Amino acid sequence: MPSRRRTLLKVIILGDSGVGKTSLMNQYVNKKFSNQYKATIGADFLTKEVQFEDRLFTLQIWDTAGQERFQSLGVAFYRGADCCVLVYDVNSMKSFENLNNWREEFLIQASPSDPENFPFVVLGNKVDVDGGNSRVVSEKKARAWCASKGNIPYFETSAKEGTNVEEAFQCIAKNALKSGEEEEIYLPDTIDVAASSQQRTGGCEC
Amino acid sequence: MHEFDLHDLSDDADYADSMQQGSTSMTRSGNSNRNSSSEQVGAEIVYLKDNVAIHPTQHAWERIRGRLKLIKQGGSLLMTWIPYEGQSSSARLSEKDKSLYTIRAVPFSDIRSIRRHTPTLGWQYAIVVLSSGLAFPPLYFYNGGLKEFLATIKQHVFLVRSAEDANIFLVNDLQDPLQRTLSSLELPRAVSVANSPTSSIAPSESSFSRTDGEALDKNSAVIQQNGRQRQKHNDPRHLSIQVLEKFSLVTRFARETKSQFLREAHGDGFISNAMKKHDKKPNNYSSVVESNDVHKPLEDVYVPANSSEESSCEIHNKNEEAAMRDESLEYDYDKLSLVWGKPRQPPLGSKEWSTFLDSEGRVIDSQALRKRIFYGGVEKGLRKEVWRFLLGYHSYDSTCAEREYLASIRKSEYETIKNQWKSITKEQAKRFTKFRERKALIEKDVVRTDRSIPFYDGDDNSNVKCLRDILLTYSFYNFDLGYCQGMSDLLSPILYVMGDEPQSFWCFVALMERLGPNFNRDQNGVHSQLFALSKLVELLDNPLHNYFQQKDCLNYFFCFRWVLIQFKREFDFEKTMRLWEVLWTHYLSEHLHLYVCVAILRRHRSKIIGEEMDFDTLLKFINELSGHINLDATLRDAEALCICAGENGEACIPPGTPPSLPFEITSMYNQQDDDDIL
Repeated sequence: MPSRRRTLLKVIILGDSGVGKTSLMNQYVNKKFSNQYKATIGADFLTKEVQFEDRLFTLQIWDTAGQERFQSLGVAFYRGADCCVLVYDVNSMKSFENLNNWREEFLIQASPSDPENFPFVVLGNKVDVDGGNSRVVSEKKARAWCASKGNIPYFETSAKEGTNVEEAFQCIAKNALKSGEEEEIYLPDTIDVAASSQQRTGGCEC
Repeated sequence: MHEFDLHDLSDDADYADSMQQGSTSMTRSGNSNRNSSSEQVGAEIVYLKDNVAIHPTQHAWERIRGRLKLIKQGGSLLMTWIPYEGQSSSARLSEKDKSLYTIRAVPFSDIRSIRRHTPTLGWQYAIVVLSSGLAFPPLYFYNGGLKEFLATIKQHVFLVRSAEDANIFLVNDLQDPLQRTLSSLELPRAVSVANSPTSSIAPSESSFSRTDGEALDKNSAVIQQNGRQRQKHNDPRHLSIQVLEKFSLVTRFARETKSQFLREAHGDGFISNAMKKHDKKPNNYSSVVESNDVHKPLEDVYVPANSSEESSCEIHNKNEEAAMRDESLEYDYDKLSLVWGKPRQPPLGSKEWSTFLDSEGRVIDSQALRKRIFYGGVEKGLRKEVWRFLLGYHSYDSTCAEREYLASIRKSEYETIKNQWKSITKEQAKRFTKFRERKALIEKDVVRTDRSIPFYDGDDNSNVKCLRDILLTYSFYNFDLGYCQGMSDLLSPILYVMGDEPQSFWCFVALMERLGPNFNRDQNGVHSQLFALSKLVELLDNPLHNYFQQKDCLNYFFCFRWVLIQFKREFDFEKTMRLWEVLWTHYLSEHLHLYVCVAILRRHRSKIIGEEMDFDTLLKFINELSGHINLDATLRDAEALCICAGENGEACIPPGTPPSLPFEITSMYNQQDDDDIL
């Protein structure tokens, strides 16, 4: 039982409504894009097996509702996250400006043990739209923000065309894994012999 | 008090009566005024208080003032509250509002409790809760008199202070001491049905009397059988206590007396369930075959496992369950499984619909109509007409002519509000961030709302544009609430059914009167429903509740989507509409949707528990049930659960929980646990 839990990496996707969170998740996991996604209500997740240095992990990717009004639900969904993906739409300045809010809200609600070093990854999505002509947030601007927040890795993606999605999630998984391992070092004394499936630390096989 | 003086009290039949009599006693008045209190024979007013008001909105200045009376008639005590004729304190409150809130001669046998509020600041008020679980809006005693009100009641009916909250007074007007005791035990509704068939609240009251005699004959046989069966259990007495405690809002009175009635309670609970099954027989619903032959499986419930499978709504494996739970609990779950919701009927068609209308188009008996729709829904072509009533856009007692007139007024009102945003120029919009953001959010959502339905299919679909216009107009109509994701899901079927833009808008407005709190910024509306749901599961499936508790899942966030948009994403479009019209009847409960939640969870309980699902797995599992839920079976389960839970179920749901109309938002949320919250 502990081994099952220990190889699970939990990733949360956050960002404004309509920036393409569900699409990115589906493109990565199912290699599919649909124009007919519905606005996410509540939360959902997909899982994908990933391999790293001969070890197999289950990436659990959480997709959440984008409207700020649903943020109070975060407490339940963010807990135990190993990495947080912040998504904005390169064609919407507002969605970029909100990244900061999403980041802070996440840190408050998930309250990770080491907020300074908690791994985030930023994705600028919808680079395909209108051949890039309707773009309002430059890559430079985005990278500058990421740098200011402790060198957050940054990717420009198109969920519709699959551009950079695999690469981005490779990075996400890697960061999640790193975070998970660090957590084990930080909290070695929380090993629960009662084998609660909630526990995220302890044990060291694999 | 000059406002009060302005009222022409001669219009008030009660007033006229009391003037005639020159005292507080009254006799039958000759006129047939519709205030039913004046039609009582040999009635005597034992309490009368003027200037008792209700506040239909959260604004204290929007109030309706009236006269509160207690009337003694025959052996029973009735309560009335009649608003004064004439002007209201606010033009927004129509005569319709007044008649909506009027309390016409409610017997105390229908009243379950009265909660007293005596805030240090502000007016004293009382909330009267009916046995059905519904509550009247708080009655504010502007001129005092609440204490006297309770004291008067106490003189005439059995009133006992709740052991749990000194401000709650439990009402019990039963004459028979046995019934009185049983009632105070707060046994499931099923028990009281058996005790007093005439006041049956089961949905099958009509057929009850026909089988009454026959059923009573059976009672003795059943009791004997029951006694025999009980010996199979180690300690039936112990079991019964458990059952009683589980279902009781324990009062001191109850504690003292319940043991002596255990036997009766036990037997009656059993019988009444059996009778429920029995009384289904005369209802000849064609399509579904009743496998439960009453004469055969009566004792099945007490026999472990397989033999009861055919007769019960439970699909889970009883052996498995029995292994998992306390033996004492098994007893009462088996009891639950005896009741099966009625077979679904075919939907209401135009021919039958016309029989519900009088010559001028009024709905003659809205209760009967709602009952009919509860059991079968409405035919496609008829929805456009019927939904307007169910949603509250039209009142049942309006005539065709009145409705036509209203529609024309509403149409122009809609255009007025719509023009408010239509007339915002591009230049203006540049400096109106809130508007731009709202519009952008709505536009993002309407293009991903039900696009697989032909009605909303294709590029530049005018219905999609219509969704946008209505939602944007609504966000101006209710600027404070604005737009929130999920609203497009709620509007989509309404527009599909109504077709017409203004009508859809007003129907949506009516729906949002009830569901608006779901979209509050603090998520209060949804949280209160999820809280009530957890209480209902605790009541109706304790092992499952314990399981959720153990897995730290009591926030029930995995049901968030169900509750927020009323299962819109769980069923296909057609089934969603069927479910909604059933929910909107508010026939058995305003909160049937919560029983639907319990029904679905119970259907999958063995899987949930068996696979030891944690929060994540559970959420995933629930999300993936979408498209795989059998609506009719779920509705039958929900109906059965609702009846089983009875008053105890309704007591799990704090007053004001959506979709109840939020008549007193601030105080309503406080009152359930006011000590804890304040």
